[in-house]
Amino acid sequence: MFLQIQGIKKSFGAGDSRVDVLKGLDLDIERGEFCVLLGPSGSGKSTLLNIIGGIDSADEGNLVIDGERLADMSEKKLSLYRRKHLGYIFQMYNLIPNLTVRENIEVGAYLSDKPLDVDELLHTLGIYEHQRKLPNQLSGGQQQRTAIGRAIVKNPDILLCDEPTGALDYNTSKEILKLIETVNQKYGNTIVMVTHNDAIKDMADRVVKLRDGMIRKNYMNEHKIPAAELDW
Amino acid sequence: MKNPLRKRLPRELKGELGKYLVVFILMVLTIGMVSGFLVADGSMIVAYNDGFEKYNIENGNFRTNQQIYKSQKEEIQNLGIKLYENFYIEEPLDNGSTMRFFKNRIEINGVCLMKGELPKATGEIVIDRMYADNNDLKVGDTLKSQSGKQTWKITGLVALSDYSCLFQNNNDSMFDSVKFGVSVVTPEEFDAMDQDKLQYNYSWIYDKQPKTEKEEKDVSEELMENIGEIITLEAFVPRYLNQAITFTGDDMGSDKAMMLILLYIVIVIMAFVFGITISNTIRREAGVIGTLRASGYTRRELIRHYMALPVLVTLVGALVGNILGYTVFKNVCAGMYYGSYSLPTYVTVWSAEAFLLTTVIPVIIMLVVNYGVLRHKLRLSPLKFLRRDLSGRKRKKAIYLSPVIKIFSRFRLRVIFQNMSNYLVLFIGIIFANLLLMFGLLLPSALSHYQVEIQNNMLAKYQYMLQVPVSAASGNKFDSLFSILEFYMSAETKNEDAEEFSAYSLNTLPGKYKSEEVLLYGIEPDSRYVKADLDKGIYISSAYADKYGIHPGDTITLKEKYEKEQYSFKVTGIYDYTAGLCVFMTRTQLNETFDLGQDYYSGYFSNTRITDIKDKYIGSVVDLDALTKISRQLDVSMGSMMGMVNGFAIVIYMVLIYLLSKIIIEKNAQSISMVKILGYTNGEISRLYIMSTSLVVVFCLLLSLPLETVIMKVLFREMMLSSISGWITLWIDPMIYVQMFAAGIITYGIVALLEFRRVKKVPMDEALKNVE
Repeated sequence: MFLQIQGIKKSFGAGDSRVDVLKGLDLDIERGEFCVLLGPSGSGKSTLLNIIGGIDSADEGNLVIDGERLADMSEKKLSLYRRKHLGYIFQMYNLIPNLTVRENIEVGAYLSDKPLDVDELLHTLGIYEHQRKLPNQLSGGQQQRTAIGRAIVKNPDILLCDEPTGALDYNTSKEILKLIETVNQKYGNTIVMVTHNDAIKDMADRVVKLRDGMIRKNYMNEHKIPAAELDW
Repeated sequence: MKNPLRKRLPRELKGELGKYLVVFILMVLTIGMVSGFLVADGSMIVAYNDGFEKYNIENGNFRTNQQIYKSQKEEIQNLGIKLYENFYIEEPLDNGSTMRFFKNRIEINGVCLMKGELPKATGEIVIDRMYADNNDLKVGDTLKSQSGKQTWKITGLVALSDYSCLFQNNNDSMFDSVKFGVSVVTPEEFDAMDQDKLQYNYSWIYDKQPKTEKEEKDVSEELMENIGEIITLEAFVPRYLNQAITFTGDDMGSDKAMMLILLYIVIVIMAFVFGITISNTIRREAGVIGTLRASGYTRRELIRHYMALPVLVTLVGALVGNILGYTVFKNVCAGMYYGSYSLPTYVTVWSAEAFLLTTVIPVIIMLVVNYGVLRHKLRLSPLKFLRRDLSGRKRKKAIYLSPVIKIFSRFRLRVIFQNMSNYLVLFIGIIFANLLLMFGLLLPSALSHYQVEIQNNMLAKYQYMLQVPVSAASGNKFDSLFSILEFYMSAETKNEDAEEFSAYSLNTLPGKYKSEEVLLYGIEPDSRYVKADLDKGIYISSAYADKYGIHPGDTITLKEKYEKEQYSFKVTGIYDYTAGLCVFMTRTQLNETFDLGQDYYSGYFSNTRITDIKDKYIGSVVDLDALTKISRQLDVSMGSMMGMVNGFAIVIYMVLIYLLSKIIIEKNAQSISMVKILGYTNGEISRLYIMSTSLVVVFCLLLSLPLETVIMKVLFREMMLSSISGWITLWIDPMIYVQMFAAGIITYGIVALLEFRRVKKVPMDEALKNVE
């Protein structure tokens, strides 16, 4: 198993104001799998994503990636882990505002020994003609494409997507989902996507539904459909 | 209902405590220092001016070679003055200095006791406080005469009102508070001293005070002639010519403009730092501003809100600075005056002007600059703020950087482009701080270089200026003739090194700068000491040429000090002589020009000591010691200040770099957080964000050096033109550049370490937190 989540617990605050966000989760994800985490606000899906991403830590439990326990890693090793294995895509893109499209992607490429070809990626993402523009000169969709480019240029093992279409309109959202699908198929990355949008589950290999910090459903999608056919 | 936004102010202050505290401290220090200076300066001037009446300072003094008779005294007093005995004895001491002893004065030239008590018994003495400081003497110490025969126990430190500046001879070009001191002993002690050395000095007060300097001059000249007919004068010094009394007053207050400029530059720089901080806050709070504006808050309300803290910090800083100015810094600044002059004790005088200049004006500057920045930044529509689109009408295009350049270099360049306004303020700040530092480092080295330079291009090791006894110009005709004859017979030397020269003193024309003395030398043909072709025309000293920007071919015009008569000379060449403002011409030409008679001469150049002329015929001896007096004294009076100037420069520099690099890191916190998430290490992030500032700092430091050199040349020149007589050539030791650069880099290094900690502290959830 590529990604193993075992008995993960996480709470915020202390005393009376303590909130248990994750109450002991177990989840296994295969390499190359497209996993969608669904759930209402406050269900703990983003917290789980951040723990997988190594930018937050669990209070209890284990997270093992490719045989390595995250809890055993030092700060430096965690950086290295993120550097080698992870790509991150956010709802609000989080591009570096004073770098051009190309440069934002190169920031990601720098971290890898064998990055993807930036020009080819720009074509794949459909933003080649915008490569010299700054983020504030782009539409939301173009910005998210750039963010995807930055995340996948280092060809990460795992691509973590936190509501990647949350700020986009219907058509652009579909474009982005198609792109993520293409990336998954072309480069074989494991994808973990957090979303509110129930429709997206149809394009995933695995669907995990969370509520109140617990996994309520965890199943493989027997009738996976391409992103282009999604409708909501 | 009061604006609820004001509740944010204490929170903002708490959240940004570091920034506000640093700015506050700098404001307090600067305003405190300037206010302290203005208060001390104002109070000192008041004390100095009041001293004339309070201590009944003389209108002049004259010296005779014997005590005057009662009848002569009455006759003199009938000329419209009241006479007072002010006899003194000079005695060399075992510490190499000369002490002038007076009896305690009661009626005239009062003594201000500053520490201890006045002498009550023989063997007790009070000495000048300044001299005591410079020679490390305290109450309770003992002074010893050079011969070792006499000792005096110091019972107190005083300021003699007629010696606020320790000039031993009125002809001296500079005072010397290290090697010359004044003191007061009991009448019994005075009478027990070597009476052969007694100098019959008389002070006078006019019955009717002359109103102007011109009137004073006329009255005193007439007085000199009239007294000369009654007694034989050896010296005659009216107060307006007495440097020991007037030098201090002339000098005080001249630094005021410079201190104020310093203050306003610091305030303007700080105002811009606030301006940049505000822009940063507006960017960060665009959503909030947009919402507030959309809900009906006016632009003015928001401007007032964002302006409140900077203005408040300045106001409180100014008030605290003023309190410190009146209590602590006043003493520091008064200490600087006490470090140069023998001033009496002063009473602090409240100065409304100082308050206006150090409190009201800084607050106004802060108001204007911040208002301007805010008005400009908040001009956009609420919608633009809501969309976080603060780029104005035109969207900024990215400057093209070739992908061939490594991504790290391009990244750094982008950070630099993004923060151009910060770096511009930083650059101006660096220039300013470095100018101060340069001045602090430069002055001592320029002074010591000046001493060496003078030593290397002295006209002769000794210049003896002969002095015709005052009796030759006053008294009855027979006495006068006899005196001149005696003088010419006794003033001849057999020393083979000696070469006669004639001299005449004129003044520059008063203009922007005060009129000052120029010495005209009449040189022998084929002189051994001045090697210039004077037959072709006149030469001027390089110091004169430098100071007034005179070139060969130019015409100079000089005038008699107190007359209207002017003389013009065409300059043929520049003579390499830095010790004074001089004009060189042939002796014949000089004597003819001033109608001095064909054989007239006024002194000797000599490379060896002349020992066969009576002391009383030697007005002054210009040797290395005398020529370097000015630089020595400047070193004593300003040397201690230079450490403070350097310290202040480094503080300003540090504060600026700290604030601006803090802003840069904060501005990019989200990006830093993002690249952390991507897996960049703290080291790599520092290489991106801190290195950009490092590169700019190094670049600014290097670029500032030639600029500062140019500015310093102008400033130094202006300073020398307005504050000293004579000229000190600007010399910038190349090591100063190295020191300045090193100080800049080391200071930056400390700040960079703090910034590295800040980068480390940026949390990774920053990128997630700001998602809206």
